Amino acid sequence: MKNLTDITDKVKKNLIWKSIFRRDYRNTVRDRAMAVFGNVFLHLHPVQVRESAVKLRFTWGMGGITFFAFIILVITGVVLMFYYHPSVDQAYTDIKDLEFQVPYGVILRNLHRWGAHFMVIVVMIHMFRVFMTGSYKAPRQFNWGIGVFLLVLTFLLSFTGYLTPWDQLGFWAITVGTNMGAATPLLGYQGPFSELLHITPYNDVRFALLGGAQVAGNALLRSYIWHCVAIPLVATILMLVHFWRVRKDGGISKPQK
Amino acid sequence: MANENKNNSSYRVYLFVFFSVLLLALSAWVVWDDEFGLRPWKKYQQEYKSLKHDKLEKDYKRAVVEFQRAGGHRKLADLEAKLKKAEDVFNSKETQEKYARVNKQLTDIHEQVVQNQKELRDLRGQFLESEYYFTKTQKQEYKAKMDGLQRKIDVNLLRGTELQKKEEPLKLSLSEFTSAKAAILAEIENMKNGLEEKKERIANNDKVPVDIKQIHIKDVDRADRCQSCHIGIDGKSQVSLKQPFTRHPASFVYLDHHDPSKFGCTFCHRGQGRATTSAEKAHGKVKHWDEPMLDGDMTQTSCLNCHGDIKGLRGAETIMKSTELIKKYGCYSCHKIPGYETVGDVGPVLTEVGTKVNYSWAVSWLLDPKKYFSTARMPKFFFTQDQAESIADYLFSMSGTTRHDADYTKATPNDKLVEQGKALWAQARCNLCHTTGGRGGNHIKVYAPDLSKVGSKVNKEWMFRWIKNPNAYFPGTKMPRFRFTDEEIRGLVEYIVKEYQDDEAEMKYVQPVEIKAASIKKGKELIQQYGCYGCHKLQGMEEMVQVAPSLKQQGVTFLRSNEMREKIGTELSSIGSKPVDMLDFGKLKKSIPNDRLSYIKQKLRDPRSYRLGLRMPDFRLAESEVNELASVLYGFTDANVPTRFLVPSRQELDRMAGVPSYKFTGDFAKVIADVKCTNCHAIRGIGADYAPDLSVAGSKLQESWIRSFLANPDVIRPLLQQMPKLGLSQGKPVAKVTMPRFNLGKQNVEDTNRSDVDVVINFFQQELVTSDIPKEVPKITTVDMTEQISKGKQLYDEKGCRACHQVGMDGGALGPNLSNVGNRLNSGFIFKHLENARKFKPDIVEPDYGFSERERIYLTNFLMTLKLTAK
Repeated sequence: MKNLTDITDKVKKNLIWKSIFRRDYRNTVRDRAMAVFGNVFLHLHPVQVRESAVKLRFTWGMGGITFFAFIILVITGVVLMFYYHPSVDQAYTDIKDLEFQVPYGVILRNLHRWGAHFMVIVVMIHMFRVFMTGSYKAPRQFNWGIGVFLLVLTFLLSFTGYLTPWDQLGFWAITVGTNMGAATPLLGYQGPFSELLHITPYNDVRFALLGGAQVAGNALLRSYIWHCVAIPLVATILMLVHFWRVRKDGGISKPQK
Repeated sequence: MANENKNNSSYRVYLFVFFSVLLLALSAWVVWDDEFGLRPWKKYQQEYKSLKHDKLEKDYKRAVVEFQRAGGHRKLADLEAKLKKAEDVFNSKETQEKYARVNKQLTDIHEQVVQNQKELRDLRGQFLESEYYFTKTQKQEYKAKMDGLQRKIDVNLLRGTELQKKEEPLKLSLSEFTSAKAAILAEIENMKNGLEEKKERIANNDKVPVDIKQIHIKDVDRADRCQSCHIGIDGKSQVSLKQPFTRHPASFVYLDHHDPSKFGCTFCHRGQGRATTSAEKAHGKVKHWDEPMLDGDMTQTSCLNCHGDIKGLRGAETIMKSTELIKKYGCYSCHKIPGYETVGDVGPVLTEVGTKVNYSWAVSWLLDPKKYFSTARMPKFFFTQDQAESIADYLFSMSGTTRHDADYTKATPNDKLVEQGKALWAQARCNLCHTTGGRGGNHIKVYAPDLSKVGSKVNKEWMFRWIKNPNAYFPGTKMPRFRFTDEEIRGLVEYIVKEYQDDEAEMKYVQPVEIKAASIKKGKELIQQYGCYGCHKLQGMEEMVQVAPSLKQQGVTFLRSNEMREKIGTELSSIGSKPVDMLDFGKLKKSIPNDRLSYIKQKLRDPRSYRLGLRMPDFRLAESEVNELASVLYGFTDANVPTRFLVPSRQELDRMAGVPSYKFTGDFAKVIADVKCTNCHAIRGIGADYAPDLSVAGSKLQESWIRSFLANPDVIRPLLQQMPKLGLSQGKPVAKVTMPRFNLGKQNVEDTNRSDVDVVINFFQQELVTSDIPKEVPKITTVDMTEQISKGKQLYDEKGCRACHQVGMDGGALGPNLSNVGNRLNSGFIFKHLENARKFKPDIVEPDYGFSERERIYLTNFLMTLKLTAK
């Protein structure tokens, strides 16, 4: 036993350990609080929550699970980017290679794909719960608004990711989706008032989305950039605001007494 | 409260443990699956390795046994004893002393040589230096120095040569000491070598790593991983007959010309080359993969991807045969197919058909061509009686005739004429092309119509005009002009009409009936709708005059030519790679497999089965024809093939090189347009392969022989291709057929005063010659001619030529009869033919005997003595 204390002393009593953990930890309220304060990842979370707030029956834990799905998607997504070229010639064969050749490619791609479906479902259940428990009411109106934006971003992530395999499914989904944009009033060339506003197939929202007048290489590149860089960046910022406001608006919602 | 809490938490622990174990198990499964489950090729490669190991080991053991059986071990022991003895001799004190002495001498001289060379280098350096100064300053002192140095160099070189002379014998005598030993060592090495190599091969095989095998074709980014499982596909020897380890079948044809490391597998076999996780996926036999793997003869469809011309291509026999069907049925008439743009109409000209056939016949033919004769190529359009009559009305009105039939059953022909006609029918060999109720028709590819019922189909006046000059009615027809006299033709017509009557033919319009304008209009619409103009010539400005004036007033004119020439069917140039989603299975979506090949086959089998309103007619193809045609269509792809793979056809190459394609010109063109030589013979790449290729006939054949042969092909038998083929080469055995007599030599060629035979002979001698074949065999002056001939005869007997060739009554029937070869062939041709027969006929069965030039001359001189004297 003496040996063990020697070893722990050796590990703990040096500059490296101290520079990382800064102080000793004893299982007291203060130290527990300090641990949360002192950690960049944990400090977004309140140091203490009410016991009633962690009741699964009330919150279903859906917000947290959505965030968990997002983290999985970011990690698998980054690894997938190592194996993928957003070009018409290579995209589909890259997906085939993931299926047949890349080590752990099958689990990697399926985690990302099923994780994405999972996130979309879970985010909707989360919203449903918030609505049914009335958690959107004052003082949480602003956070509800942020949540609506996050929902839209989740859908857009799902939509843009759909084209990346460059298969028939994705191709036609994007064709249909962007054609809907083309028929939108004031935005698309097929919508009402388009002639009045001089909207043509070459300057409308569809053109902006596709980077051209048809689903081709530019559309693939745009959807790739939106999917991998732009939308995740915006979503991350909004998520930070979302979590911050959960705390500032009185903590996680809980049953009325 | 506390109690409840505790219970609750212990239950949660179990849940936590359960899910943790589940997650761990899943993670373990993921690792296992990725390593083995998704990589079945590892198992195959291991198995192949062990199979190969067993085989190599067996080889090795057999070699060891053989080595021992041949007394190898004893010999080896002997050699080793000898070696020992030689070493003893070498090591003996006496030898060693001698050896040391010689060695010492050699070392001394060698030292001198080295010294000498060093001196030479030095002198040359000084010389170059002086030369430099001399050229720079032009001072005489440098010149003198240079001369002095040059003298020294000369002396040095002389000394060097002398030293070398001394060195050589010393070296030799030194090696003599060790040579005995070295020889024995080499022999031992040699004996052991075969065995060692085999042993090494086993070791090398064991070292081969198990990994994915991929062929990557960079320019089209195609990755074929087929060899990961088919590991022995391009092996030098067969390791196992078990799949997937076998070698490629007929690899000397396919792989030898298509190095797998450059071509991969999927260019020919399709399938999903990237897939490695299961055989079904790799073979592309899964949902959403449009290109299932091709195997067996079906693979030959891929030859069409790169080869512009598959005629005569080894290994493409099946697909080559199948492409004939496109020509036979004229698919290109309604569908755009690359490579067939310039092929002529498949059906006869119909501009004046009203003057040719009976109206009743025309209607029944339109209703069902196969009812008239079973091998009819015209498809069934499922017309109603009304529709068929409308079309016939249109065609007849364009010929300026009425509904009329000519009935000859009650006529009493002139028996003498009929008798003459019958003789001429046999002599002209009409049956060579035309069938009569299943008989004859040996030359299939001209697709001449069956004549067994022709007496009830056409009228006599037309038949007379037709035989007299077929080109007048149908420019470009395959029917030759036989140059018969009018009297002869009359007899032939009488004979045909009498002999070939259809007893069941209906003759409703023996009394002509006027045609109604409404019916003509309907007929025109039907012709436009079903595209009859695709196969038949129906229009043309010059025929406009033949529209009856009364009909013109009613607004009926000919169809515009550009309107008619549009293809009405779907373009087929990339049907073999059309996405399956774009094929309309219609009503049959659920009843037939939804893949491309099934679609094509069903379309050919029953063209209008997918939905209502389809126009394609029913060709009533046999199932074998359906399969053959489908395999050809499957090969029409827009596959992304690298240009370096493409093998353009000869015509394409000529076009690219700017060489105009060969055309017959001058008077001979007129003869060939009449006699249609190219129906059977090929001349300079034009024509058919039914009769011998005449491209170098001028160098090959003697003029007098050609003359007599053309005058009378029956008397001096043409001995080229008429022996039964005995099934040794591809295709049906050709029955004994002789060339028809075209009665050449009786008339002059149009607009000239030269006889047509002279024109043909002239063409043979001017055009159909090659500088590869000398006119005469080279002469040997040192040996007497009679001796040469007897030596030639001796060779003829020795080499067993008579096994295949006949001379007089003696010899085999596989090769041409040589009884009259001295009158038929030029000696230069025989001489060259004996050198390399395959040069003239690549698929010839004649063996290569490797004769020397002298032997060939003897043999040629002997063969030239074989002549039949005219009786």
